[in-house]
Amino acid sequence: MMKDTTSVLGYAWPLVVSPGETIAFHLSSATLTEAEARIVRVRCGDPDPAGPGLKTTRLQTRIDGRVALRHQSIHPGSAAIIPDAPILSGPSFSTGCFLWPTAPLAGPQTILSRWREDLGRGWRLGLDAEGHLLFEIAGAAGAASLRAARPLIEREWIFVAASYDGATGALTLVQRSLDAQAGRDTSGAYQTTGPAGLAWPTETALVFAAHAREAGPAPLTAAHFDGKIDRPRLYGAAFGEAALRLACEATRPSAADPALIGAWDFSAEISSDVVRDLSTNRLDGRLRQLPMRAMTGANWDGSAVQWTEKPEFYGAIHFHSDDMADCDWSPDVAMTVPTNWRSGFYALCLTARDGSDDPVESYVSFFVRAPLGQAKCRLALVASTATFLAYANSALRLDQVHAEAMLEGVIALSRDDVYLQEHRELGLSTYDTHSDGSGWCYSTAKRPILNMRPLGNTFNYVNDTHIIDWLEHNGFDYDVITDCDIDRHGAQLLSSYACVINGSHPEYFSRNMLEAFDTYQRGGGRHIYLGGNGFYWRIGFHPTKPHQMEIRRGMNGLRTWEGEAGENGLSFTGEPSGLWRSNGRPPQRLVGVGFDAQVFTRSYPYQWLADAHDPRVAWLIKEIDLAKPLGDFGLRGDGAAGLEVDRVETTLGSPPYLLRLATADQLDYGGVPTVEELRTLHRGAMGDQNAMVRADLVFFPTAAGGAVFATGSIAWACALSCKAYENSVSRVTGNVLRRFLDPAPFSGFDN
Amino acid sequence: MLVNYPEAAHWPIDPTRQDLVEEMRANPRGPHSDDLRKLLHRMRWTGVGKRYVVIVLEPNRRWMLGRLPGRRGAPVETFPNRIFTSLAAAEWAVFAMRWEALTGQRLDDGIPA
Repeated sequence: MMKDTTSVLGYAWPLVVSPGETIAFHLSSATLTEAEARIVRVRCGDPDPAGPGLKTTRLQTRIDGRVALRHQSIHPGSAAIIPDAPILSGPSFSTGCFLWPTAPLAGPQTILSRWREDLGRGWRLGLDAEGHLLFEIAGAAGAASLRAARPLIEREWIFVAASYDGATGALTLVQRSLDAQAGRDTSGAYQTTGPAGLAWPTETALVFAAHAREAGPAPLTAAHFDGKIDRPRLYGAAFGEAALRLACEATRPSAADPALIGAWDFSAEISSDVVRDLSTNRLDGRLRQLPMRAMTGANWDGSAVQWTEKPEFYGAIHFHSDDMADCDWSPDVAMTVPTNWRSGFYALCLTARDGSDDPVESYVSFFVRAPLGQAKCRLALVASTATFLAYANSALRLDQVHAEAMLEGVIALSRDDVYLQEHRELGLSTYDTHSDGSGWCYSTAKRPILNMRPLGNTFNYVNDTHIIDWLEHNGFDYDVITDCDIDRHGAQLLSSYACVINGSHPEYFSRNMLEAFDTYQRGGGRHIYLGGNGFYWRIGFHPTKPHQMEIRRGMNGLRTWEGEAGENGLSFTGEPSGLWRSNGRPPQRLVGVGFDAQVFTRSYPYQWLADAHDPRVAWLIKEIDLAKPLGDFGLRGDGAAGLEVDRVETTLGSPPYLLRLATADQLDYGGVPTVEELRTLHRGAMGDQNAMVRADLVFFPTAAGGAVFATGSIAWACALSCKAYENSVSRVTGNVLRRFLDPAPFSGFDN
Repeated sequence: MLVNYPEAAHWPIDPTRQDLVEEMRANPRGPHSDDLRKLLHRMRWTGVGKRYVVIVLEPNRRWMLGRLPGRRGAPVETFPNRIFTSLAAAEWAVFAMRWEALTGQRLDDGIPA
């Protein structure tokens, strides 16, 4: 029976922990008051009865036993919060910014505010439910509002401004379209007279892209805005449109202007969550829930496409009403990881309602690393935490119309999927779009991640546990190391190991990670890549905040959303993003093969090629019948070559020493090439007619006795256990691993 | 923006193509003929009606029919009396409902062997 995997959820912090360090579990349940807790080491997370089945090992810890549960809320929606200051309570003010709304009809939204929802007092500039600009003031002396005549147009830049004169009670509101032709002009200016001398509520934060629900410097917020805000300004006098427009157009308005209260420069400190005020008042604020930074402003003219080149064009932040980066839950249980624990995939297992017809079994994942600088084994398996984060809580199959066509069959939802459909507050993956249609570019681990745990959907994490299961079955000793540690410690971490294995889908790679593997290979490291679609996207980890990653999908590659022009540089690091192939480092150069196609109809066997008979790789084909197909079985589509596959391409860097040992190049009509493989469009590009749609199995030696083995297929890992582990895929993998752990160099390649 | 428009799938449905119905009934999971692939693409891309899915009750063993609500945050509609013991049976059932929605023809809902 499918267990209830969602009645209690949680996250571990830190996600990756060293022996001797403390780990805390932040839990929440809307329905349970308690659960049984225990810690397990994960060997196989896949409940598929056709495979090894769920395999975990229980470990005795002080957590064992009953844990009390409570409901902890999640508050999605990003905003900038500026704590109250005396200067914000002056009698008159004017405010303005450039605006690029992305969901003006999604419901009432607040753009710039010093408003208290609990009191219904203050001022706010926002949108009403019909997408009309609305300026409201309210206080003890009364209230007034102005509404623009024409609604805003989605994804069109507009200048918006409002003012209140406390002496006369005069209110003004203006919207001015920046491209005022061909039906795009919604401009208008409005005025009315309201109560004079309004007093503003105290202890009220200034908020951008939402308003405060309550008092205090860090209030909960409501009415979150979807879209970009560029160069917000606030003055302590009731200025007209022309003066405010000039103030907003200036990237650095005069800080000496006595009327200036605040001028926020979102192009400053882009990698942080700080918003800087350029005025002498220093009304700096904090961003909440990680809105998208390094976004083009209304002044962007295409003369630079990276924010680092001309930051003054990147004064906008794109806020989303569903941004979610940090649940901010209180911890419920904590423990110190014993120093004698092996590194590996671990989880807190929570069970409840045992014996009922709907038992709860929910896992909270974490990873234990080998102590840094102290490799315990000669072999390391990489936990692809960058990829796990990129896919964290993917709702692709729920939201994207192409999913059923792409996956070539009716979509099968797990209980996790059914939960996620209803509970978008968990925050989605970098495959998904926000509710306004723009892409999710950040992912974090301070939230429950449903598909990075045992019993989760079968991709990435769960598939990689098949490699763990196979290593355990065959008695190989191994450490587990993680992407985030490779990013931070580089080749130094890898160089402790004779051999390093990347799993089924190491798709997301930072520059540090790529450099680490390149250096590792050049230094004699033995590198095994048991997957497909690896080393594909260029990502960045946040330089100071652990387990936060970023991707900008750009204009190329197999992408579920496209970055906007000029917005494809990483805000965390200032680096370009997109495909590694488009960044001068195609995967073929590192591992001999690179992504070429998807095939979801079924998976296929490889056929051995002439290179497999090369005596220099006799060790690789020991006890293998080269006349027979390789991997005509598997848990994912009944073959070892499938899902996402990679091929050799010398023009992209597959090296001269490479031996192409086997190929699966008859992928039929289900083999669909990736977009960057197509020069011009023509019929005949699918796998039934195109031999470039294929998976290649390769070996090549590198410098100083190093070597690379790659399978070029995600489905490979899920074929290892077939026929009780006695199969050709398992045998080849074992032959390679044993040889790679043998320090003897690979001879006969230098001539 | 890069948008996938579901209404873009416009391969014309021919209600007289019983051969495609029978091909699907005999082999719901494929591989399929060229014309049946086009018919399935039309159905899957547009998600005619609402988008049917199955919900896993037992991994790789038992599934229940469901339907996506077409709106984020709304619950998945479930059909507890429509249980399948193979994905092929589920695939056929979804096909039959979509065929009826597109042609008005009710198909014998027989689950293929």
